Amino acid sequence: MNERKPPRLAIWTLQHGLLRDNEALTGDLIERFKSGQSPVWFWKQVYIAVLLGLWTEIRRHWPHFAYAFAGITFPQLFWKAVDGLPGALHWWALPWPWSQIALEVIRKLAFALMALPVLAVGLTIRREFDWRALFRTALLNLTLITMYKYLLDYLLDVPGLSHQVNSHLVAFTFPSVFLVAVPFCSFLVSAWMGCRSLTPPIRRRA
Amino acid sequence: MARAFLGEMELLILLAVTRLGDDAYGVPIARELLNLAGRDVAVGSIYAALDRLEQKNFVTSALGEPTAARGGRAKRYFHVTPSGLRAIIGTRAALTRMWNGIALPEGAGL
Repeated sequence: MNERKPPRLAIWTLQHGLLRDNEALTGDLIERFKSGQSPVWFWKQVYIAVLLGLWTEIRRHWPHFAYAFAGITFPQLFWKAVDGLPGALHWWALPWPWSQIALEVIRKLAFALMALPVLAVGLTIRREFDWRALFRTALLNLTLITMYKYLLDYLLDVPGLSHQVNSHLVAFTFPSVFLVAVPFCSFLVSAWMGCRSLTPPIRRRA
Repeated sequence: MARAFLGEMELLILLAVTRLGDDAYGVPIARELLNLAGRDVAVGSIYAALDRLEQKNFVTSALGEPTAARGGRAKRYFHVTPSGLRAIIGTRAALTRMWNGIALPEGAGL
């Protein structure tokens, strides 16, 4: 038997590269590698497989991606309406803890809920609509967005600096792409986990 | 029921799976595509096409036993379903009809 070993990192990449069925594919690549293919060939196969796996995931979960896209776009479009929500609720007149909740949570809740109709429409088109999935997604997203906002505040709320200076510091420290990518991922992960259903395993041959 | 159409690669893979019978898994399918159709197709692309065919109910798959020669990984065997076979025959009939009456110019390189 040929004892050539395929590149370890390539195997690891394949196993963690978003592919659903990677056992058979990994086995096929190892079999062909042991029959004489080069490490470059192996890496090329892994690269193609991972890209295809990613594309398959996007196609398979397109409502989630649409939801994430809407999630980062809608707040820009309806910023003024959302920003005025705590004021519209007269948060200062509410008893504690409702005043705090109205001030701190209501905007994040609005952001988390705003794009939910897009996900609902997507799931309906795919005949996968489920109220529980929407509820789980909204709850997860609210948690992730809140964590992200507070983490950002915690990291960059430098004592002794004004709010304006801190805002500039955020813009200087984190590139815009990061400030978009993190909320996008937050929406995506929430939808992914919230709408997750168990796919039937591939049966073994008798 | 809506008719499902086959792309060229899907047709080639379905034919390879049909030819291979009980031994249709990734490696021999790739070999058939290379030897008979002259296509050097990435194994990942073959699985992507097979997944699409499985969603269309043209093939079914089942895992074999893991082997040491494959690093302890199982083979995934594919079988063409009756609707897959109907799709192949339907595509061949459509292609034959389309080819009928076409006169290729001399020296077309075929």
